[in-house]
Amino acid sequence: MIERILLLVLFMIGFWAIMAHRNIIKKIFGLNIINASVVILFILEGSRIGNEVPIMYGGIGPTADPIPQALMLTAIVIGVCVTALSLALAVHLYRTSGSFDIDVIKRRIQDEA
Amino acid sequence: MRPEDLVFATVMLPLLGAAFALCANMFPKGKGADTVEFIGAGIGLLLPLIVLANVFPLVTGGNAIEGVIGSWHEGIGITFSFDGLALLINILGYTVGIAAWIYSLGGGPRGPAFTGIFLIQCAALSATIMTNDLFNLFVCLEIMGMTSYVLIPTSRKAGASLASFSYLMVSASAMVFFLLGTYGLYRLTGSLSFQGIEAGLALLGSTQRILSLACLTLLVSAVAIRVAIMPLYGWLPDAHALSPHAVSAVLSGVLIKTPLFALARILHLLPEGTKIGELMSIAGALTAVVAVVIALSQRDAKRLLAYHSISQIGYIVAAWGMALRWGIDTPEGLACMVGAFLHAFYHALFKGLLFLSVGTTVDVTGERNVYLLRSSIASLKGRGERIPITFIAFVTGALAISAIPPLNGYVSKDLITYSLKGTVHYVLLSIASVGTVASFIKLSRIYWRGTKVAAQASLSTETTPYWPRLVAEVLLSLLCIAGGVASHLIIPVVSDLLAPANVIAIANANLFSTDSLVKTAWTVASGTLLFFAATSRPGSVVLRIVRERPRDFHGLFISFALGTAVLAGYLLI
Repeated sequence: MIERILLLVLFMIGFWAIMAHRNIIKKIFGLNIINASVVILFILEGSRIGNEVPIMYGGIGPTADPIPQALMLTAIVIGVCVTALSLALAVHLYRTSGSFDIDVIKRRIQDEA
Repeated sequence: MRPEDLVFATVMLPLLGAAFALCANMFPKGKGADTVEFIGAGIGLLLPLIVLANVFPLVTGGNAIEGVIGSWHEGIGITFSFDGLALLINILGYTVGIAAWIYSLGGGPRGPAFTGIFLIQCAALSATIMTNDLFNLFVCLEIMGMTSYVLIPTSRKAGASLASFSYLMVSASAMVFFLLGTYGLYRLTGSLSFQGIEAGLALLGSTQRILSLACLTLLVSAVAIRVAIMPLYGWLPDAHALSPHAVSAVLSGVLIKTPLFALARILHLLPEGTKIGELMSIAGALTAVVAVVIALSQRDAKRLLAYHSISQIGYIVAAWGMALRWGIDTPEGLACMVGAFLHAFYHALFKGLLFLSVGTTVDVTGERNVYLLRSSIASLKGRGERIPITFIAFVTGALAISAIPPLNGYVSKDLITYSLKGTVHYVLLSIASVGTVASFIKLSRIYWRGTKVAAQASLSTETTPYWPRLVAEVLLSLLCIAGGVASHLIIPVVSDLLAPANVIAIANANLFSTDSLVKTAWTVASGTLLFFAATSRPGSVVLRIVRERPRDFHGLFISFALGTAVLAGYLLI
C-alpha cells in the first residue's frame, strides 16, 4: 500500500509542476514525473505475482508478469520522444521570445502579431 | 496473400513511403531528390487506395478481417480488426491526405522531412482505426499527436510553436491519464484486447465495477481532448489557425475524428457505452452551438474556420453519441452512425477545401483579418487566376458547410437532423446551423468589393509553383459536389459497411423532401438576419466580449479535470 501512496504523491508533484509553474522547462519536468509515476505503477502491478525475471530457465517460478514490462518499455520510449519534442519547442520559443515564462512568451507573441 | 496481411498494408505502405521520402535527404537538392520524395508520396498515399479497393468486398455486410500482428498467438500478440468503419475512415484519411499533400507542393511546407512526417501521420491514422487493443490505441494516439506537434510549427508563424506546445502539454498529460485507465482495466480484467476487456468486465463484482467506471472515464476524457469537445477544445483554435494550410486541412478534417470513431469500437462493446454516449451527445450538441457563436465573433479568417471545426465536430459527436445510446444494431442507432460518419467525411472534404481556399487567399493578399480584407478576387486575378478558381472553391465549401442543397454538407446534416428528430439535440443543432450560415456570410465578405483593397503580398515573387494549390482545390470541390449529387448511391453503401451482420441497412431516407428544403430556406433566412444583427452596433459589442474572453493555458487543465469529474459523476449516479 505504501508504494501506491508514494506513487500518488509523485504523481501529484508532477501535476503540480505542470499546473503551477510558469516556467515551461519545469512544466516539461512535471510531464516527465507523472509519466514516470504511471510507469512505476505498471511495473509494481507486474510484480504482484512474483519478482523473478520472466525468463523461464529453471522451470516455472514466481516470475513477474511480463506484459506490463513490455508495455512500459514502449511507454518510456514514447515519453522520451514527447520530452525531446517539447524541449525542442521550448528552445524555439526561447529563441523567438527570449523567455521561458509562459505568460511572458504569450505577451511577446501577441505584441508581435 | 491472406486478407489479414493485405489490410495491414494500409499501415505499412505509408511507413515505407515515409522511409523513401526521408531517403531523399541523401540526394543533393534537385531533380533526383524530388523524384525519390514523389515516389515515396506515391507509395504512401496512392497505393493504400488500391489496397482499400481490394479489401472492400471482404468487409461489406458486417464482416471484419481480424488477425494478430506478426501472426503471434492470440493471447500474446496485438489483435486488430479491419471492419467497414475502418475502411471508411481510411478512405476519409487518404482522400484528404492526397489533396493536402498536393496543395503543400504549392503552399508549403516543402521538403522530404515534411512528406515523411505527413506519411507517418497517415500510417498512424490507419493503425488507430483498426486496432483492437487498448495499449496499441494509446501508442497510435501518441504517434498521431507527435506528428501533429511537429507539423503545426512548420508554418513558422509567431505563436505556432506556442500553440503546438500547449497542445503537446495538454494532450500528453491527458494521455498519461489514458495510460492510467489502461492500467486499471488491465488490472481488473487481465486483458488488453477490447473483447477480452468486455468479457472480463462482465464477471466483476459491484465494487470493482465502480473502479472500472473510473478507468473508462479516464479513457473517454483523454480521447475527448483529442476530439476537442466542449469544454476541452481550448488547444484547437490556435493550433489549427496557425499551422500551414495543408496541415490545417488534415488536422481539422481527419485528425480530430479518428480517435472518436476508434473509441466507438470499444464503447459499443460495453454496457456503460450507452450512458457515455448519451452524455457525449449532449456535450456535442452544446459544443455545436457555443463554438459557432465564438466562430461568429472571430476576426482572423483561419481562426474562424478553426472554431467551425469544433462546431461541426459537435454535430458529429451528437450523432455518434446517440448511435451508442440507441445501440448500433437498432435502425435508429445505425442511422445516427451513418449520419455521424458521413458528416465526418463530408466535413473533412469541405473544411479541407475551405482551409485551402481561404489559405490561398490570405497568402495572396497578405491579410488575415476578415474586417480589413476586401476585393480578394482582384488580388487572385493579379496572381494569374483568369477564372477565380479559389473563389469558386470557397463558395462551394461555404455553401456545403451551410448545408445548401445539393452539396454534400446538406446531405449529411440533413441525415443527422433527420435521425435525431424529436430530441433536444435537434433543436440545438438547428440553432447551430443558423449560426453557421451567418458566419460564412461574414467570411465571404473577404471577396466582396470594398474600398480597402489589400496590398499584394510577396507571394508572386516566391519560387513555389501556384498550380498545385488550384489542383487540390478543384479536386476537393468536385468531391464536395459529387458527395451531394450522388448521395443516393453513397448512403446505402456506407450503411451496409457500418451495419452489424444481422441488421438490415437503413432504407434510403428521402433527403430532398419539401420539409427539409423549407427548413433549409428558414435556416438561410434566419442566418442572414443573424448576420445583420451581428454586424449592428450592439451585435459587434457582444461579439467583441466573446472574442476577448480570457483564455489561458491552465484553463485547459481545469476544464479537463471538470469534464472528467462530470463524466464520472454521471456514470456513477
